Amino acid sequence: MTVTTHIPSRTSLPLTLWRDSNVIQKAAALIGLALVLMALLAPLIAPFDPLAQSLISRLRPPLGFERYKDGFYLGTDELGRDVLSRSLHGLQLTLGLALAGATIGLLIGGTLGLFAGLRRGWAEDAIMAAVDLQIAVPFTLLALLILALFGSSLTVMICVLGIAGWEQYARIVRAEVRKITELPFIEAARASGGGQRYIALTHVLPNIVSPLVVQFTLSLSNIVILESTLSFLGLGVQPPTATLGSMVGYGRDYMPTAPWMVIAPAVLIILVTFSVQILGDWLRDRADVRLRDR
Amino acid sequence: MKTLLMTTAATLLAGSALAQSITVGAANISDYLDPGRDHSNVGSQFYYNSFDTLIDRDHSKLEPEWVPALATEWKLVDDTTMELKLREGVKFHNGEDMTADDVVFSLNRMYQATFAPYVVRSKDRLANFAEAVKIDDYTVQIKVERPEPLWETLVSLQQVMIIPEDYTKALSGDPEVAEDGDFEAFSLAPVGTGPYAISEFVPGQKVVYSRFDEFWGDRAPLEQATVIRIPETASRITALKTGEADIVTNIAPDQLDLINADPNLKTEGSATALFHVMIMNVNHPNLVDPKIRQAMSMAIDRDLLNEALWLGKAIVPSTHTMKEMGELHMPELNTFEYNPEKARELLAESSYDGEEIVFDAYPVYYTNGVLAAQAITEMWAEVGIKGRVNVTETWTGASPDLMARSWSNPMYFADPFGSFGVMWAPNGPSEGSGRFNTDAEYAAIWERFRFSKDIEERKAAYAELMDRIKQDPPVLPLYRPFESWGMNKGIDWAPQPGHIPYVLDFRAGAIALADS
Amino acid sequence: MTLYILRTLLKMVLTLFAIITLVFFATRMSGSPLDTALGDGLAEEDRALMIEYFGLDRSIWYQYLAYLRGVLEGNFGLSFIERRPVADIVAERIWPTLQLLGSALALTLVVSVPLGVVAALWRDSWIGSAVMGLAFIGYAVPNFVIATFMVLIFAFSLNWLPVVGNGTPWHFIMPTIAMSGVLIAALTRFTRNAMLDVLGQDFMRTARAKGLPETVVILKHGLRNAGVTVLSVLGLQIAGMAAAGNVVVEAIFSWPGIGELLVSAAIMRDYPVLQFGVISVAFAVVVVNALTDIAYVVADPRIRMAKG
Repeated sequence: MTVTTHIPSRTSLPLTLWRDSNVIQKAAALIGLALVLMALLAPLIAPFDPLAQSLISRLRPPLGFERYKDGFYLGTDELGRDVLSRSLHGLQLTLGLALAGATIGLLIGGTLGLFAGLRRGWAEDAIMAAVDLQIAVPFTLLALLILALFGSSLTVMICVLGIAGWEQYARIVRAEVRKITELPFIEAARASGGGQRYIALTHVLPNIVSPLVVQFTLSLSNIVILESTLSFLGLGVQPPTATLGSMVGYGRDYMPTAPWMVIAPAVLIILVTFSVQILGDWLRDRADVRLRDR
Repeated sequence: MKTLLMTTAATLLAGSALAQSITVGAANISDYLDPGRDHSNVGSQFYYNSFDTLIDRDHSKLEPEWVPALATEWKLVDDTTMELKLREGVKFHNGEDMTADDVVFSLNRMYQATFAPYVVRSKDRLANFAEAVKIDDYTVQIKVERPEPLWETLVSLQQVMIIPEDYTKALSGDPEVAEDGDFEAFSLAPVGTGPYAISEFVPGQKVVYSRFDEFWGDRAPLEQATVIRIPETASRITALKTGEADIVTNIAPDQLDLINADPNLKTEGSATALFHVMIMNVNHPNLVDPKIRQAMSMAIDRDLLNEALWLGKAIVPSTHTMKEMGELHMPELNTFEYNPEKARELLAESSYDGEEIVFDAYPVYYTNGVLAAQAITEMWAEVGIKGRVNVTETWTGASPDLMARSWSNPMYFADPFGSFGVMWAPNGPSEGSGRFNTDAEYAAIWERFRFSKDIEERKAAYAELMDRIKQDPPVLPLYRPFESWGMNKGIDWAPQPGHIPYVLDFRAGAIALADS
Repeated sequence: MTLYILRTLLKMVLTLFAIITLVFFATRMSGSPLDTALGDGLAEEDRALMIEYFGLDRSIWYQYLAYLRGVLEGNFGLSFIERRPVADIVAERIWPTLQLLGSALALTLVVSVPLGVVAALWRDSWIGSAVMGLAFIGYAVPNFVIATFMVLIFAFSLNWLPVVGNGTPWHFIMPTIAMSGVLIAALTRFTRNAMLDVLGQDFMRTARAKGLPETVVILKHGLRNAGVTVLSVLGLQIAGMAAAGNVVVEAIFSWPGIGELLVSAAIMRDYPVLQFGVISVAFAVVVVNALTDIAYVVADPRIRMAKG
């Protein structure tokens, strides 16, 4: 999308991107696409209601094993719910939460970073002090404490994921803004009487879009892992609703007896983070904005 | 590599067998050890090995059979006074002799409590006990306010186990005075008269028992028993397999087959003397109509829960009663039933209008707790109640917003007073938390139940209380959970029927190790 | 220069003060110890008694000022539950955590620096792609997944490795690997990128032009210069990631460390333990941050200008 500014030919962008990618990147793109489709279509393709219990057919193994229950291809969980249907809906919720979290982080961090970069002075000092504060405490630990203290609900979870990466955006945006505002064409715009907001919207914003897109993609996989970790520890979304992490978390007691409860969601988590990582890295290389490992 | 690793594992195993020592992997370990202030399910695991009461019971029997412990004989001198002769030559783990002073100190710290945690603990069960008085070095008298029908029961409670006076008082501040700080320090360095001294205690992590050679009774069968915390179920079972633990606690029924399938391992279990219950807030605006709460209760197929989650090994009660209660075991009462049709009818007659009813549950505290909560809301849906599970570590039982939640009613001692009684007394913890109401009539029935000398009168009063509960239900006992322990086949141990729930009893006669 | 160092120190103190204040009020806003299992079944007047016992009956401002005074005197209070000084409790728990962190960082360094160098040198061949592919997979697998499956395979099924606590070196194997997975992936990438940056620099070309053997060029000039970047990354980001992964790994392996202590303190609302725990972790990070800042300035005074 917005990476176009750096791509020489605008005519067939997806095709160009595809041609320029290696095997791993192609695989990651396909897996990512498949995962997104599965998540979007979960209500249609899931064979059962993910919440429908059947206490008399608990802990049934997947297709091909003894005691398999017809139609429950990946087996059933400790309340007799369909593992496949729960995994698909869990994937949907996990991706949804990650997107919501990353977007909130982007909005908060981006706005504060822009503000800090343009305003300077005490506003910048205060914002950067908050950034330092956030860096001072390892975030997963902080998130755990917040959820343990304030209880877990969808709202709290989204907020926690939202503030998970804001300081990264703030730093990037501030740094980019400072760099850009020192460039001659901004000086020219300012000299010709352009206001602060005008400059921000017309000159600064378009130039920081690509680093933001890259950071957004990279942070997605971190957020997926964060959400999974929190849910694994039982501090995430409330049962009976499942995310991939909470399925692994609640299923872990059954690891030795019913590993299928854990394997499907665990594999999905790995596929999500793997493909998003590769795509993020690829975008970073393409965008070539010297963002490396900030 | 592999050989090396195997050798290590073998050494671990051999080490524990040779020394007559065992390692126990427990899901939880107390943060403090003081039998007086504790009545938690976690804590009750630990006291019996290291502390004695004046009167004990034969724990291998279900029916109470009182046996001498630190008191060798006891008699009632009048309606409100019991006189006890103390055993001579009893030593505390720190070498002090046990005398009447220690007994009076231990009892009065509860009977006339000033330390807040003792006050809280003694009020619900020891309110009738006025004081303990020293007659001579080996004779004490215990005085009660009103004639007491449950003398031996209440003298053999965990809360009135005997601790040393001089040692405790000297722990902080003035060595002549019992201050709060003394009791706080005691709970980190506990000393008793039992067959095992607590030689190491890391709060929340580890308890090490070492054989106490000067114990007055039968010699402890183990040289050492180390209880370590292994919070994860899968890790506990794995530790049993790798030989890192010889006994592990809190095994859910779903895992029993897995352990029993291993030729070196076995499981022991029993339906614990404790009810997992659902409590309902009678004062929540949406639940004021008793018909709604009756429907919530009747919609729950407890037998199905038992079959599915406990493999049929739990016990579903017809009323709030347990077989441990001897003559007061009253299974003939029919207070709670599964009747979905009736539930639907009641719901239709009631003021219920589809409001969401939230069921709060602790995440891991009760075995199968969250699963039962999810299954219960499904069962509610069957009769038209809209339920939602809220998993929270917060104790919501005292909140005015509480609607329903899981809780447990343990048997603190073998009498209905020790189970239903402690929790549902007038002005007790349930009423005090604002989710249960009593009136003058209830209080009057309660008085008859608590203090009547005549068993039949007590039974009649209890039946009346149960009827009140049925008409306006604040609670539904779901089942007595089947709790299991996994262990090495070389260990002969099983929970004893005469104990309160979860006690890890390693005294003579309770545990034996196979020769190796 | 001195002014800059003073400024950095002042900032550090202010950050810590802000953290103390935040933690103090956030914990108290979120509920009291009587809201957890500790208050399970207390009558109303008993609750009042216990609130007084915990010292929570005074006004929150009084409690806050009393706590601040305690902090200045080095007295962080008693745990509500264990009733012993929180410093003792945290001291008991921090050592096992540091041991595990140390062994995880050591493994990370040993594995990922060579991998990163290899990936940089053979950037365009299949070797480079394979290493980076592995790194991506390592990054993608959450440590709770690695830990859970390792326990199932190496302890439960094969009985090779112990799973409980930190008693012997064998106990370190699985937790260390579980903690290192993500770290190795991250550091391999940092190393690779740092090496790539260095390889393109003038001094490398100069070194090569001098006719030095390629190995010497890479090890002496390349790695040494890339190493500075790698170490600075290791100090901050990696340590943060490791501290985070700790909680999960400690829970699975019953490791008597600080992560689990903090989470259970939060759940039980054991305010004094929670406050001291968060403050110690934050203190460690803030000090490392400040030292890095100062070291940079000492090394390169231009940064002072840039930092404003």
